[in-house]
Amino acid sequence: MKRPLGTIAGARSGDKGGDANIGVWVRTEAQYAWLAETLTADRLKELLPEAGAVTRYELANLKALNFVLHGLLGEGVASGTRFDPQAKALGEWLRSREVEIPEELL
Amino acid sequence: MIRIGNASGFYGDRLSAVREQLEGGHLDVLTGDYLAELTMLILGRDRVKNAELGYAKTFLRQMEDCLALALDRGVKVVTNAGGLNPESLARKLKNLAPDTMVGYVTGDDLKDRFPEALTANAYLGAWEIADCLTQGAQVVVTGRVTDASLVVGPAAAHFGWGRGDWDRLAGATVAGHVLECGTQATGGNYSFFTEIDATHPGFPIAEVREDGSSLITKHDGTGGAVTVDTVTAQLLYEIGAPQYLGPDVTTHFDTVRLQETPRGVEISGTRGSPPPDTLKVCLNTLGGFRNGTTFVLTGLDVEQKAELVREQLHRRIGEQDLTWTLARTDRPDAATEEQASALLHVVVKTADPKRAKAFSRAAVELALGSYPGFHVTAPPSDGTPFGVYRAAYVHRGEVSPKAVIL
Repeated sequence: MKRPLGTIAGARSGDKGGDANIGVWVRTEAQYAWLAETLTADRLKELLPEAGAVTRYELANLKALNFVLHGLLGEGVASGTRFDPQAKALGEWLRSREVEIPEELL
Repeated sequence: MIRIGNASGFYGDRLSAVREQLEGGHLDVLTGDYLAELTMLILGRDRVKNAELGYAKTFLRQMEDCLALALDRGVKVVTNAGGLNPESLARKLKNLAPDTMVGYVTGDDLKDRFPEALTANAYLGAWEIADCLTQGAQVVVTGRVTDASLVVGPAAAHFGWGRGDWDRLAGATVAGHVLECGTQATGGNYSFFTEIDATHPGFPIAEVREDGSSLITKHDGTGGAVTVDTVTAQLLYEIGAPQYLGPDVTTHFDTVRLQETPRGVEISGTRGSPPPDTLKVCLNTLGGFRNGTTFVLTGLDVEQKAELVREQLHRRIGEQDLTWTLARTDRPDAATEEQASALLHVVVKTADPKRAKAFSRAAVELALGSYPGFHVTAPPSDGTPFGVYRAAYVHRGEVSPKAVIL
């Protein structure tokens, strides 16, 4: 069954100049193994179609993935015309997207 | 162990936080971060108006209220509230308490090197802060230093760390990164906020040890929570690659270990390595003037309504420099007027302040001659200047940080 990613994952997003980042983490090793396999950079772009180039970093020690969304914010917060110019709520948008989550991870 | 608190995560954060942190329990050092990329631009515009300004004015107000309390309790205060003018802020603090040793850190300003910029500041590190404290400063204000330096500097001074103590510096950098955004470490802006009491989170505290490991905690009786999850959320905030580059050390975020304890979260295992040869520079230039408005498009024919107003505005002022975004927040056959409405945002960014102002007039003049149901969420202003941020890198030899004691 499809459920929001945020059923098991937390996220926090923000800006660095014209790039945005989204850190996504989960709470158990089993959830992390699933997250690392499922939430590839390509999958993230499917879930957040506004994203352009995406780089993914793994932080297994924190059961977390970090995504950098290059150029999403144009020339930075002061000049951006994008909705949510500092990318504060990108992470909550991602958490609301629905994905197949194995029952045993819920 | 040195107990370092934070009372500010941005210019505009909770004004009472300094008092809360000083009265809530024991601290050795109280820090505060006031500078973001955007803040440097705001302070740059202050400084244009008045050469005495360019620092975070709210911090001065906090010190007018609480400096005596901090001194009385033996708490040292270390902040980057100096912004573009740490010397001016330091002198005002010295006036508040003439017997106090006030230190300031300068040398970050690279406007001579980047004359086209409104502000140009290198991200300095922790060592000048440590230098001020070692000389006996009770208050230290800096300009643009990395946020984590506000924690690394006091820890390095307290323990007598050396510049090559990579793992210790990296450990303290992690503690500093957790503290730098205030209550974002203690349950503020937290995905699982429904699981805690997030109504009034307390500000965070790091107990840093000689080996660079730390315990993240907060004063007893304050709101929010310090858990592996709240700390993880903040560790992931505004980072890129796990090799986190700073002016004093490269911190390897993929080596950090977190462990929950009854008093908070233990941070250990952090590895560091030498920093790059270059320092990052925060550049803000004036990009021009911006203005904008949001048309509300309700009910039927949303796309055609958008097209009509777009065409009308283009005919009046031309389409160059305009950015349009149609947000289809509407749904068919809606039970409320708001749910029946889409939002059409338009922004003009131009080098010409007259054009930014002309935009308002053109948009307002449509009010009785456009699509049915015409209204806007807020009328356009006269337009405001906007900045463009960019990062540059300079060799560290080109920057001369300086610690000064008043």
